Amino acid sequence: MPPTETKPAKKTGVKVPHTMTERLLILLSRYREASIAVVAIVLVIYFQFGSDGGFLSPQFMSVVLRDTGRLGLIAAAEVMLMITGEIDLSLSAIFSIAPYVMALLSVTYGVPLAVGALIGVLIGILVGAINGIITVRFKVPSLITTVGMLFFLQGIVVSIYNSQPIVAPVEQPFNAIFGQSLYQPSDALLSWHGITAFTPFLWAAVLVLVLALVLNRTTFGLHTIATGSNIIGAREIGVRTDRMKIYNFMIAGGFAAFAGIINTAQFTSADPQAGSPFLTPQAIAAAVIGGTSLLGGSGTVIGALIGAFVVASLNNGLVMIGAQATVSDIYLGAAIIAAMILSIQVDRLRTRRRV
Amino acid sequence: MNTQDIPPLSKDSPVVLEMSNISKSFGAVTALVDVSIKLRQGEVLALVGDNGAGKSTLIKILSGFHQPDTGTIVSQGKEVRFASPRDARAQGIETVYQDLALIGDLSVFHNMFLGREYHKRFLGLNLLDNRKMREQAQLYLDTLGISIPSVNSTVDLLSGGQRQCIAVARSIYSSPKILVLDEPLAALGVRESAHVLGLIQNLRQQRQVSVILIVHNYNQIFEVCDRINFLHSGEVALDASTADTSEEELIRIVKSGLGRKAIDAAAAEVRPGLV
Repeated sequence: MPPTETKPAKKTGVKVPHTMTERLLILLSRYREASIAVVAIVLVIYFQFGSDGGFLSPQFMSVVLRDTGRLGLIAAAEVMLMITGEIDLSLSAIFSIAPYVMALLSVTYGVPLAVGALIGVLIGILVGAINGIITVRFKVPSLITTVGMLFFLQGIVVSIYNSQPIVAPVEQPFNAIFGQSLYQPSDALLSWHGITAFTPFLWAAVLVLVLALVLNRTTFGLHTIATGSNIIGAREIGVRTDRMKIYNFMIAGGFAAFAGIINTAQFTSADPQAGSPFLTPQAIAAAVIGGTSLLGGSGTVIGALIGAFVVASLNNGLVMIGAQATVSDIYLGAAIIAAMILSIQVDRLRTRRRV
Repeated sequence: MNTQDIPPLSKDSPVVLEMSNISKSFGAVTALVDVSIKLRQGEVLALVGDNGAGKSTLIKILSGFHQPDTGTIVSQGKEVRFASPRDARAQGIETVYQDLALIGDLSVFHNMFLGREYHKRFLGLNLLDNRKMREQAQLYLDTLGISIPSVNSTVDLLSGGQRQCIAVARSIYSSPKILVLDEPLAALGVRESAHVLGLIQNLRQQRQVSVILIVHNYNQIFEVCDRINFLHSGEVALDASTADTSEEELIRIVKSGLGRKAIDAAAAEVRPGLV
């Protein structure tokens, strides 16, 4: 194709931001992970001083990071779904049922934990596929599909054994790999248990990094973003938007199941109520605080992991500095709303100013 | 753009596409009744008609987005059936929709290569080759003389004309056999329109790609097309070659009759000029 004789259109240049506020907002829109990381650091410093140095102790960190890990896995998976324009509220039930099945198979039939864990994750993926198919094929909003699934699964898991928690056996190397008991004051930081006490968080960190790679560097990630950004356009250009949604529901189910399994490995107990009703809302909070909007088309899974750390720090840190356990929800609620307002303002500014 | 240096389409140029007796209804709404169109190799055909005339439905059938209730599509001499846009693309039919099908949250170069991404192997993984896509997109847009601030900027930050140019460029990039442009000038200013028309005229000069243009009225595109089909109420009311018909004549015909009969009568009047 030879160049046409028409002159190239005039370059519409990038406008230069003027006020400090605008510059700050633009910076925030470009580096969403960085801005939530700053919040996390400020929180750590605040709690570290407030607790006279106790917050950053290995023992306390193992609690915060345990919560960060399980919340981060669910939040990151939720981000993938939120990018496609969907949401999954049934993840806390998957978080409960997957390890419950694992423990049940182990105590009743002597199935090794590793095999039970695999079955648990497959159940999570299957539930995700069902959520996805119902949402996509029957055009039920995912909010409704997954609320239905939440009650359905939670009903099953409590009725299996009359709401009784099952004591899960400890098997090595399964527990060393997927979750040991919490860090004890007697542990040395570089000892075997000093490291394995943190494996749940390490798993979360690794899986979230993998998810970040998938989202930002693969065709799958590109098509996930395309699906949520402009579903009709994406379909016209040949993106299989229905499949993208179903696959992301499956990822979410698998991640939630895995989070439940490492949680049970750490506690050596499978509680049918493990995924408390607050787990999914907290994960969504972590995703939103981490810089993902509910509007679809964009999001950051690393931001979600840092967001999970912020939520876990708030939950545990406030208690540590002497606040009542329930107070942290007040801060959390305010933080979600503030994060959402900020996120929408930044987006609006970005499109208006074309930066 | 110069019309005089483009020779008229040869009469024995092969037919690349024939849509015969296409009908389509959406529930109680009849969108197309027994529509037949024919397209030759290298021809630029304009589909003209008012809102609701069925233009968009027809091209959405051609591009695999809708399936016809009845009728057949023959492409390159064999009958084809498109279950999805992918099938149509596989047959070399590229469509630039009115909504452009651009993804606002993705960069220009990702949009250019969406659905046909370049990959590179990294640690056994199939990762996007962003550098190659960025370079290719920049190179290709430069060749077409399309100027945008950066191939890295997301599409939602571009102007309407820039978006149209990106969408057209994306379609031409895959060297299609048939290129369908739905209202390509709808959102464009004078300079940007001239640019898109220049792109079409280039294609017409080479006679490699056959083009179907969907437009509201043909005063802007009269010089760049070989033939005009006028759609009215889901039927082809007029099929005229631009080489044998003047623009004024066509306007008179189209304006004169909005009923089938009136148009038939008017068409009979210019019958010698029809293909």
